[in-house]
Amino acid sequence: MAIKKAFDTFAGPLAKSNPITTQVLGICSALAVTVKMDTALVMSAALIFVLVGSNIIVSALRNLIPSRVRIIVMLTIIATLVICIDQILKAFLFDISKQLSIFVGLIITNCIVLGRAEAFALKNTVGESALDGLGNGIGYGLILLLVAAVRELLGSGTMLGIQIVPRFLYVDQGGWYVNNGFMLLAPGAFIILGLLVWVQRTITGYTEE
Amino acid sequence: MQSSNSYTYFFVITMAVISALLLAMLKINLQERQEFNKALDTKKNVLKTVGLLEPGMSGSEVEELYTTRFTRQAVTDSDGNEREYYTYGSFQSPEGYVLPVSGKGVWSTINGFIALEPDKNTVKGISFYDHGETPGLGGEIEKDAFANRFRGKKIFRDGELVSITIAKARLEQESEHAVDGISGASLTTGAINTFLRKNLTDYLQLLR
Repeated sequence: MAIKKAFDTFAGPLAKSNPITTQVLGICSALAVTVKMDTALVMSAALIFVLVGSNIIVSALRNLIPSRVRIIVMLTIIATLVICIDQILKAFLFDISKQLSIFVGLIITNCIVLGRAEAFALKNTVGESALDGLGNGIGYGLILLLVAAVRELLGSGTMLGIQIVPRFLYVDQGGWYVNNGFMLLAPGAFIILGLLVWVQRTITGYTEE
Repeated sequence: MQSSNSYTYFFVITMAVISALLLAMLKINLQERQEFNKALDTKKNVLKTVGLLEPGMSGSEVEELYTTRFTRQAVTDSDGNEREYYTYGSFQSPEGYVLPVSGKGVWSTINGFIALEPDKNTVKGISFYDHGETPGLGGEIEKDAFANRFRGKKIFRDGELVSITIAKARLEQESEHAVDGISGASLTTGAINTFLRKNLTDYLQLLR
């Protein structure tokens, strides 16, 4: 029983209650960092770190946090973790941190993080909260990578920076193919995200109440 | 106890002090590495403007090219300030000049480099590497696709410094003193137009 509950906590957000496609949280960064897969990967890793970290800390302190100031306290915890990861990226992955620019800092205001802290970590044990954070983080990451894969393939003809569409097909090499520049712009992400939400809700039968 | 004011104050202050301490420690430990990365990035961009930077180049290769191929020099502008620039190639027969350019964008100070051919007129390359413009809009100025438009453009018209204008109209693009702009980034590119011209004027002593 306990194992099943733990599994549901972790696996639910991967698909059934995915933070992006079902709960529609964290959309802004999902649109902004999905032009290339490498930025989407690093962004997902950063979010998973912050989400698991904040869920664990909030859950561990849940009986100590005065309820009247709990939002401020949770934001302090989240902001601390986000600044940590931002500084670490600047020190060890400088080029990618330059591309992610403000979006790592904006994890502070990513609704998923505060949402899970308030809705889950404040009421559950440390272990369950860690699993919930991991599940939601990976659920977010999966969608980001899906969107990024489509955008990078159609927009730049590459996957993780590796050329997929053969070079000789391009117009400048005498072929007929042109990358779809629209996919590099935010509206391209909107459309792919919309299609994903549609597909997922058709399969799960989920409707807004 | 949990709901008393003094407990709330105590908890919040403790929390803030612990967070601040943690972050301060982290920053002190990482600062050296971050500054090293930043300096290396600047050097990479100097190389990039003259077309020396290859993808996947290691830090030490960048460092070596930077120290062996560039000489730091300075001229005086009309206000009497020293203006630094880099001479690319040997002193007797330079292969180009790299001038730092910077100015106010929409949200931030934009820093970049412009490289000129030995004729001190034709643009060899340009690169904006440090800015805080809106990603996806003004932030596009850091992209190679934008920088490549400057290559081969001329900054002098009949001996008069006209700089290079980032234009909206397609007609302007065909001029050798203008490049195509970025949709949604009129303010950022307008700001670049202003400071690029001003920066180049500061180097007139070298360019004349």
